[in-house]
Amino acid sequence: MKRMKKVTTMLIAVSMLLGLCACGSNEADNTAPAETGTPAQEAEAPEESTSQETTTGGAKDTIVLATSGEPYRFYAQGSQSCAGDDNLALSNIYDCLLFLEPDGSLTPALAESYDVSEDGLTYTFHLRQGVKFHNGEEMTAEDVKMTFDTGAAGPIGSALFVNYESCDIVDDYTVDIHLTSPYAAFPYGVASRIGGIICKSYFDEVGEDGYYAAPIGTGPYKFVEYVKGDHTTLTANEEYWRGVPAIKNVVIQTVADTNTQILGLQNGDYDVVRDPAIDVCLRLDDPNVTWAKENSVGRVTMYMNSWGAGPGKDINFRKAIQAAVNKDDVNQAMYSGEADILDIDVCASYGGCPDPGTYQVVEYDPEAAAGYLADSGYDGNTEWKILVQSGSRYESGAKVIQAQLMSIGINCVVDAKDNASYMEEYKAREWDAIIADNLSSLVDADSLMTYHSMDSWWDPAVQGSPRDPEIWDLIQEGRATQGDARKPIYASIADIVTEEAYDVPLVNSIVTVAYNTKLDGMKAHCLGNYNFYYCSWNE
Amino acid sequence: MSWLKYTLKRLLMLIPVIICVTFILYVILSFAPGNVAWQILGEDATAEQIAQLEAEMGLDKPLLVRYGNYMLGVCHLDFGTSWFGGEDIAKLFLGRLPYTLLVAVLSILFAVGIGCPLGIGSAIKQYSLMDYGVSFVAMLLTSMPAFWLGTMCQIFFCLTLKWLPVSGVGTWKHYVLPSVILGANTLASMIRMSRTSLLDVIRQDYIRTARAKGASERKVIMHHAMRNSLIPIVTQIGITFAGVIAGAVVTENIFAIPGVGVLLINAVKARDVPIVMGTVIFVTIIVGIINLAVDIICALIDPRIDFAS
Repeated sequence: MKRMKKVTTMLIAVSMLLGLCACGSNEADNTAPAETGTPAQEAEAPEESTSQETTTGGAKDTIVLATSGEPYRFYAQGSQSCAGDDNLALSNIYDCLLFLEPDGSLTPALAESYDVSEDGLTYTFHLRQGVKFHNGEEMTAEDVKMTFDTGAAGPIGSALFVNYESCDIVDDYTVDIHLTSPYAAFPYGVASRIGGIICKSYFDEVGEDGYYAAPIGTGPYKFVEYVKGDHTTLTANEEYWRGVPAIKNVVIQTVADTNTQILGLQNGDYDVVRDPAIDVCLRLDDPNVTWAKENSVGRVTMYMNSWGAGPGKDINFRKAIQAAVNKDDVNQAMYSGEADILDIDVCASYGGCPDPGTYQVVEYDPEAAAGYLADSGYDGNTEWKILVQSGSRYESGAKVIQAQLMSIGINCVVDAKDNASYMEEYKAREWDAIIADNLSSLVDADSLMTYHSMDSWWDPAVQGSPRDPEIWDLIQEGRATQGDARKPIYASIADIVTEEAYDVPLVNSIVTVAYNTKLDGMKAHCLGNYNFYYCSWNE
Repeated sequence: MSWLKYTLKRLLMLIPVIICVTFILYVILSFAPGNVAWQILGEDATAEQIAQLEAEMGLDKPLLVRYGNYMLGVCHLDFGTSWFGGEDIAKLFLGRLPYTLLVAVLSILFAVGIGCPLGIGSAIKQYSLMDYGVSFVAMLLTSMPAFWLGTMCQIFFCLTLKWLPVSGVGTWKHYVLPSVILGANTLASMIRMSRTSLLDVIRQDYIRTARAKGASERKVIMHHAMRNSLIPIVTQIGITFAGVIAGAVVTENIFAIPGVGVLLINAVKARDVPIVMGTVIFVTIIVGIINLAVDIICALIDPRIDFAS
């Protein structure tokens, strides 16, 4: 009887442990659902896709990209906002009417050409014929209209399809896009993630949820699967209008640890590492690994609170800070000195960026800074907090600025917060200053309106910002002007911002990529996209 | 049937534990900064869009109502969906669990398989060179943080020797380093625990009696001492296993294992409350079951333990 008890209890204990081990499903259960008959299901999934040994006829045909942040919103026009991580997949699944090239220039894509009406209110796009979606249907003006109407109504519509009013179908391959008021940077919105053309008939069939789960576009790669926290797999679109991609499979592998990413690249586990830190790139000494960098479309700028009750309300205090910041040291701390210093809050690659010499520049001058500080009546004790994301390179930059400001007598404090807390405080507009990287999908000088908008989302009754009507009028003028005639307008805006000391532009942020030396065609893209279409293995 | 009653009682005791754990967690998460609707919709979303999404997600309701609704769903085995991505929580967790369990089981096997014999040998040969050597190794393993040891092992075994992949899952080779790194600390505690435990037992009167009766040293150790010294070791294995399940975050991060630890930590960072809550409930249940299994095994080993009492 005693033996029976022992056997029974042993069986229970073992079965409990076995039950625990067996209760998990395999990873396929966690795969984004692919509807029956959808292109995602039809696409052939690569075997054990995390291995880069996937080959065709002995030649390597897979790229494994290691990234900390994973894409998970595979449909940009939906009710959820999508961000930079999503671009990794979106920029390969979808094509826009225009391409944003790695250096920030625009080239024709699904639109062979476009015209702008004299009043700047209508953009006419002439579509390429014979372009097929991943489900085999041809792209027509109906799909373009659907894309713009849906995208404009979504949460990022107002930011990227600025002033969009409507889309009229002229014929199967021509559309007229009407704006409520002129917006010269509109083509950049067309080339952004939200401009990726979606298939109307497929959307009508599967709806928004279906599109998120199994997206189709006209891009060089088809969506295969998404396993949350692990990987996203894409496979080549054999019917691609620019020709079949040389790389057959792309695996976007989530690897949280940045050391592991680089070690994995050196070991051959991964072929590409997304945006490694520049100091890591500079230290790379491995013949099998190389790296590239590109100026991004982001400005790293310190914005100062000029509307609150803090010391920043005084213009002399702000001018003191402007003159006290040594940008070279900040650049060294954030980008190992590899980034370009910004004199105004506009990147050189932006459309409408004023030419150097046409705007005021504040030079580093600690003596002048001390003079401004004395004029401001600052008591030397009141804290002046710089809000930054903890663990980011901006925290390093903020600490350098803190030391520089303390040396002239400002009680500067760095307030480093985790992402969610940072966003909450950022939105509340309660900071004395923040250092942010304004990565603008609209590669245009109009982006400086972010901090000077008169119709922005925050409530002017409770929160402030430098709401300078003069700047706002010039922004409107810049939007309504085409070509180089815009440059003097943005130079005037930059001068007002400098005179009022609203901000301290620091550096043009940079995008990096480290990759296997045998991989041809890999480039760092100004928006952090990866165009796998251009890649091939040279072995 | 006392064991069955005992098991049922222990399983029922999990219910108040789960309620307490989830309520405390829910309250803490509700105080965490960050507007989820704003994060989902992006900074360009209008106040109306944010308010609408908050209403859809039920975030406009009072805390207790939200918690009550959540627990009502849990009672119906509906753990909700991720706020960022919309995946079903139960499916998500169960998809990740095998990776974590596999690494946890392998690490425990590694730690017990090596740690216990070393600890026992060390106790038998107390104050010998082997004893000092083993104690030194145990101290070394305890002192080395997992993230450092992991990276060093990656450099040595992957980059230098080219024996193993740096990270990921897929083949048995992918699990070697994570299991060893996760088990390293446990190995150290197994060595110390088994050594101390056996030393305690072999000083007991009944061991002296066995020796006096002429039993061989092998028989004394294996038959009389080992069994009694196993109880604290088994308890320690249970505690460690529970800890490994809940805290494999560092190892999973370093080796890019898509396990429960990474899921939980990413969800906490993103303020994805349904994932955090669901994961914690599942982990609580697993830890409860492991503890129960440990108690049953202890009762098997030690006849003095009686379920009825």
